[in-house]
Amino acid sequence: MIVWAALVAGIVSVFFAAVMLMHRSLYVSAVSLLVVLLQTAVLFLLCGSSLLGLLQLMIYAGAVMVLVVVTIMAAGSEGERFSDFSFPRPLACLGLIAAVAETAFILAHGTAPAAVAVDPALQSQLGAVLFKPYALATEAVTLLMFLAALAIVPEKAAA
Amino acid sequence: MNLTVVVWATTGTLFFFGLAIVVLRRQLLAMLLGLELMLAAVNVSLVHHAGLFNDAEALAVVALVIAVAAAEAVVGLSLILRVRRSGRGADSAVLTELQG
Amino acid sequence: MTAAQVPLAAWLLYAAPVSAILLGFFVARRFKPEWTHLPILLSCAIVTASAFWLAADVYTGHSFDLNLFRWAGAGPFGVDFGLRIDGPGVAVLTMVAFVGSLIHLYAVGYMKGDPGFSRFFLVFHLFFLAMIGLLTANNFVQLYLFWELVGVCSWLLVGYWFHKATARKAALKAFLTNRVGDFGFLLALLLIIFQFKVTHFHLLYLKAASGATFVLLPLIGVCLVWAACAKSAQFPLYFWLPDAMEGPTPTSALMHAATMVTAGVFLLVRAWPLISLVEGLPHLIAWIGAITALFAAIVAGTKKDLKRILAYSTVSHLGLMMLALGLGRTGVALFHLIVHGFFKAALFLCTGNIAHALHRSTASVDDAGGLRKSMRLTYLAFMLAALSLAGVFPFGGFFSKDAILDSAWHHGGALAVMGMLVAAGSAFYIFRMLFLAFYGARPEQKQAPHAHEAEPILSVPVLFLALGAAFAGLLKGPIERFVVLGTRGLPSGLPELNLVLNLPGEPLLPHFNPLVAGLGTLMAVLGAFAAWRLTMSDPGFDWRWRGGMAEAVFESDFGWKPLVDACVRGVSRVAGFVGKVLDKGCLDGVIEGTNGFVRAAGSAIARSAQGRINDYLWWMAAGTALLLGRVLR
Repeated sequence: MIVWAALVAGIVSVFFAAVMLMHRSLYVSAVSLLVVLLQTAVLFLLCGSSLLGLLQLMIYAGAVMVLVVVTIMAAGSEGERFSDFSFPRPLACLGLIAAVAETAFILAHGTAPAAVAVDPALQSQLGAVLFKPYALATEAVTLLMFLAALAIVPEKAAA
Repeated sequence: MNLTVVVWATTGTLFFFGLAIVVLRRQLLAMLLGLELMLAAVNVSLVHHAGLFNDAEALAVVALVIAVAAAEAVVGLSLILRVRRSGRGADSAVLTELQG
Repeated sequence: MTAAQVPLAAWLLYAAPVSAILLGFFVARRFKPEWTHLPILLSCAIVTASAFWLAADVYTGHSFDLNLFRWAGAGPFGVDFGLRIDGPGVAVLTMVAFVGSLIHLYAVGYMKGDPGFSRFFLVFHLFFLAMIGLLTANNFVQLYLFWELVGVCSWLLVGYWFHKATARKAALKAFLTNRVGDFGFLLALLLIIFQFKVTHFHLLYLKAASGATFVLLPLIGVCLVWAACAKSAQFPLYFWLPDAMEGPTPTSALMHAATMVTAGVFLLVRAWPLISLVEGLPHLIAWIGAITALFAAIVAGTKKDLKRILAYSTVSHLGLMMLALGLGRTGVALFHLIVHGFFKAALFLCTGNIAHALHRSTASVDDAGGLRKSMRLTYLAFMLAALSLAGVFPFGGFFSKDAILDSAWHHGGALAVMGMLVAAGSAFYIFRMLFLAFYGARPEQKQAPHAHEAEPILSVPVLFLALGAAFAGLLKGPIERFVVLGTRGLPSGLPELNLVLNLPGEPLLPHFNPLVAGLGTLMAVLGAFAAWRLTMSDPGFDWRWRGGMAEAVFESDFGWKPLVDACVRGVSRVAGFVGKVLDKGCLDGVIEGTNGFVRAAGSAIARSAQGRINDYLWWMAAGTALLLGRVLR
């Protein structure tokens, strides 16, 4: 059962990735990527890591991609005005249907559906791993994000 | 048909689609999106194998990759806007020289 | 012998013409061109005197051969400039000097009033100098130098009236055909250097007599024969000589009768010790000579232009000389060469007188006619020279021709028959010419009403030459002595060497053979009788052959001329192909093509490094895939 859900998620993500590749409009590509990332979040969940699924949804899809989409809309593509940004209706329906179906499936499943037997302690070990063996890496990434934030600020000031 | 096969198929296809987007499209922003797609595909694969091999370090890697990808997307975005603002357009066919 | 002991006459041989030419060019031509001939005539006199002096020296056994200076050297080999005064050389030199001086005198009168008077004399004398050099050269390279110089002068003189297209074409044809022969000479020269390491005659004669076998000798011999055939107008390379009659008459008389064309025969005489060692080569020479002689004699009897008849006659007599040489009789060939020089020059100058009297540059049987009454002196000279040519006793030509016929008779076979037929043919054409030009003006001929005898300066030299032709028979003994004695006193003047120049055991010039003499005279009479029948008792006979196929056949030398033209066209087409397609198209194309190719390759490669990010990404993806593929295997 779960495998079929994973299959559906996979097919939808592949389909929207194809749309991303082919479609002329940058806005449509960005929103398609957003949908793909949503599907990958579902896949994370189905593979047994609900934490990372949540993180993906929140950070990647929710923050980064939204930022990208808004930037595209704000900076404007060549020749496209704000009102021209439109997402093809059939694709939007498809994405919505998929999202609704997956949400329904997850809620109906009760506990986090995992297709394979995953050790429940795996996710809790994530934190231990992040701060013990990978502590240095974690600190570095944090610093990187801080620097990235710093790097952007003068941009805005100069602009 | 088990999960592994589905994940491999999906991941592989998504990765190559991302590669195709990066290589084939001329808008810089589209290239950035392709990059993100590649990273996402890799993340899915890592998570699945973490569950398969019961390896928490893979999950840690995924977390770090998400963070780095986010930072990279933001910096890349600001760079592209800078280039766009310099008036030369954000077209990789036009931008053949590192100047300005 | 050292340079100090060289007699003054030998120095004067060169010094006089050189100073005359320099004086004429730098002084006379600039200030008074009409006086150019004066230093030149003086030089002619000096040269003739020197030639006789040297002849006397050689006659008493004082020949010499020495190197004067080394012109160019490379280690042991060098090109030397030297003098060889020996029997054969000085015999021909005397004839050339005497005949040449008389023709120079004749040319003063003949070329008077021509705008290029001084140019003519300077080139004419340059030719004279070149001929002297050729006859006194002591090594093959020096001979080649003067050989080439003679060819250049021939071109300059045949094309003397360069505004005439026919003259230009004829000059070029003469020069290029000679060039073909020169190529053979050059090959022979290189082979001689390769095989023998020396080119000096006396050293080569020693090597030839040493009895060793030389691998390249047949090839050398063939190349030398080839060179001689081109220069001496043997079949098949004879066709330039009739066309060379476009030059002024003195040119035709000196070059194409007495001297230049005999250079080929002289070359073979000089090289005879080498050529006689090759089996079959003398036989080949004899056959070439016999065929040429017969063919040219027949064609000469069909021509209309007086000078051309004489040109073919020259070809025929050169054939006879080659025949004599090929039968091993060097002395006979030289004898005929000398006698021929006298009577042929006389005949040419008579023709020149006729042309001059008719105010043309050349005359044909259509214009002349009945000149016996109006040009008595010319008629007399022509008659003497004609009798000499036909070989009638006691005139000079009889002795030389008899010697040749005797040699051929001894040999037997087809050559003997051909020799007799040539005798008949010679008599026929010369008497035809005599009867048509000098006897009874025929209705078809434009009777020349204003013809008068030429002025003394034109007629006196002719007379002298004719007398020389008449009495040249007296030279038989001296010539023999020259050839035999001529190698005494030379560095390689070994007594046995005389035998190399002659068939062993045979006398140098044959003794009188009544049978052959009688047969020869009979042939001459037959030929003369035929000529009389076809020109005198049937006056219009010659004109009945005009028009129609017979004339076309005669004009084209029995079909040989079109063949030669086709060959020349074929060769020039090949040359054009090589030049345009191979040289320009392929070679230049390859060289210029590399330029285009490199440029195309460059721009093709440049397209991969144009700064396009997408291209780089492609390469990165491909490279990474390859690496991963290798690593993961």
